[in-house]
Amino acid sequence: MTTTDAASTDGESVTALEGPGAAGPEGFQLLPWMADRGIVLFTVALVLFAAVFVDGFASLANITDVFNRSAPIGIVAVGMTFVVISANYLDLSVVSQVATSAVTLLAVSNSTGSVALAMLAAFGVALVYGVVNGTAVGIFKANAVIVTLSTTFIGLGILRWASGGSIYFGPNDGPIRAFGLAKIGPFPLSMLVLILMTLLLSYVLRRTTFGFMVKAFGSNREATRLAGVNTAWIVIGAFLMSALGALIGGFVLAAFSNTAVSTNGTGYDFEALAAIVIGGTSVFGGKGSVLRTLLGVVFVSVLSNLMVLSGLGFGVQQMAIGALIVAAVSLDALARKAGAA
Amino acid sequence: MTESRNDTDSTEAGLDLGSGADLSRWRTVLARRTEGRAVALLVVVATVALVLEPIVFTSYEVTLGRLALIGLVALGLTAVILMGELDLAVASTLAFSGVVMASIDNLALGILAALLGGLVIGVVNAFFVVVVGINSFIATLGMLFFLRGAAFVLSGEEPVRLVAREAGIAFGRPLIGPLSPRILIFVIAVIALQVFVTRVRAGREFYAVGGNRQAAYDAGIPVRRRVYTGFMISGFVSALAGVINTLERTAADPTAGGSVLLASFAAAIIGGVLLNGGRGSIVGTLIGAASLAILQVALTLSGVQVDVQNIVIGLILLIAVITDPTTLRVVLGNARALFRGSSQAQPEPG
Repeated sequence: MTTTDAASTDGESVTALEGPGAAGPEGFQLLPWMADRGIVLFTVALVLFAAVFVDGFASLANITDVFNRSAPIGIVAVGMTFVVISANYLDLSVVSQVATSAVTLLAVSNSTGSVALAMLAAFGVALVYGVVNGTAVGIFKANAVIVTLSTTFIGLGILRWASGGSIYFGPNDGPIRAFGLAKIGPFPLSMLVLILMTLLLSYVLRRTTFGFMVKAFGSNREATRLAGVNTAWIVIGAFLMSALGALIGGFVLAAFSNTAVSTNGTGYDFEALAAIVIGGTSVFGGKGSVLRTLLGVVFVSVLSNLMVLSGLGFGVQQMAIGALIVAAVSLDALARKAGAA
Repeated sequence: MTESRNDTDSTEAGLDLGSGADLSRWRTVLARRTEGRAVALLVVVATVALVLEPIVFTSYEVTLGRLALIGLVALGLTAVILMGELDLAVASTLAFSGVVMASIDNLALGILAALLGGLVIGVVNAFFVVVVGINSFIATLGMLFFLRGAAFVLSGEEPVRLVAREAGIAFGRPLIGPLSPRILIFVIAVIALQVFVTRVRAGREFYAVGGNRQAAYDAGIPVRRRVYTGFMISGFVSALAGVINTLERTAADPTAGGSVLLASFAAAIIGGVLLNGGRGSIVGTLIGAASLAILQVALTLSGVQVDVQNIVIGLILLIAVITDPTTLRVVLGNARALFRGSSQAQPEPG
């Protein structure tokens, strides 16, 4: 990968097709095409299959349920996309970040009566997460997986110790509850937040210098450094984006269920990663987009919903998502090999 | 991707050995060791424990048992990390193999199936890394979720009781002197791996693969086979830890191993094993595991709850991973450059 590759991805179509090798004189190649555009086909096929063959999928109540479940995961995933594109694998600590954000929102607003103050407190915590993760990875050059693994345990430990593991219930009226219940047709308001976050972060990734630098850094960190970029800030910025996603995701989750507990974030790390890599963002860094992640979220949410409707347990869902992550990344890796050959 | 980080070390060593003085030679030997942080942690933890909770040392079977659990998993990890790869699936391999073993009524058959399962998991991990070419973080992360789910499915989301309870109870009894079989198995594993990576050609080649994979390949080292060996060691040893854990508790818990993952990574990394590969030692991991085992037992005995223990061990892992001696030098240069706002930063490590 070169920086020119990242530079040419200003549009939504990521340039695996136009890239050297992929669209060489041999013409059409199946693997790169699948890795690049396959997700659209898979998602459409999955939704059609679900609508036709699975009882209860196409009901209004179920669709609303899918939206409600997918909104917080989607918001976390679009934020984490920045970390993946910057070639730092993933941010495991979204597990504790989502839970901390949800618990802080309800706990602080319950005790002070001020939602604004609660949001500010949660924002402060998210800032700490982003800066600590980003500093350890960006300045101290530590491995992102290990850093975020340790911050997950530190964060969850602090949260459980501070909350005593208790469940916080929101008040039955007030802005949080109103937000959680509000709907536009079958769409809960949280979907609107997801779409706004996607558009905002998509703009940041595609149209700002920071977004361009994240892609450049993910493609070739040495070249980016030699070009005179302060790479530490890029990494800190990417982790701050992930923290922002987890913050808003936690808010939406707390508002929807009107409860918050320290286990709220369980599974958000791999569901978000699954959505990102299935969307076609490369874990090798430098290639990907926020809109693709949104598509991946739709796929993962519909699949999870189908498994729940079919009565499959938590264990099978974990197995399926583990296998999906490896399959999506394998497809990307094999497409790269085919493209390079 | 990884460059050899031993260039400066080895030239210094050459100069010092040339001077021939015994003192400087010793200094060189010490400077080339990477276990410094683990030794420091062990001294601090042991001293504090000796003063505050001397029971940690008087009832040493408990501490040794904890060491055997963390240490076994950390040893398997060390073999993989030496080659610059990572195995995040160790903890769920432990849980999965325990469930497999307990689900089979015949004890010997169950143990055999669990250990074989560990080897197969290692082969599958290595296949995705070597043949498909995906990053070992992602491959083993997928395996982590898959095995966690499989353990849930196989166990029906409940702890599985071991049929051969007597065997489990006998397993906990001292066999030679005060040492129970699980501690003896751990000692054998330490010796076997130490001999493997320092005296056996294939094991020594792990360092070459981790230090500079291309150079290792050019030198005729069968890199792919070594990666397979490393992941198989890690899978087998984790499965062994699962078997021992199940025997000890006479039941298999599908959720076992969450804090073991954290502690075993902390043990290996603070023991001086470089995440980019090519550097580290079994002894360092052993010292790291010992300090964490003492710490965990001391905290538990002092009535510190698990959440706070996780904070402490998480902090140790975070500090260990950002204070790696070789990268720290580069990093401090970078930090200065950052605040000068210039691009005079040192090259990215790794």
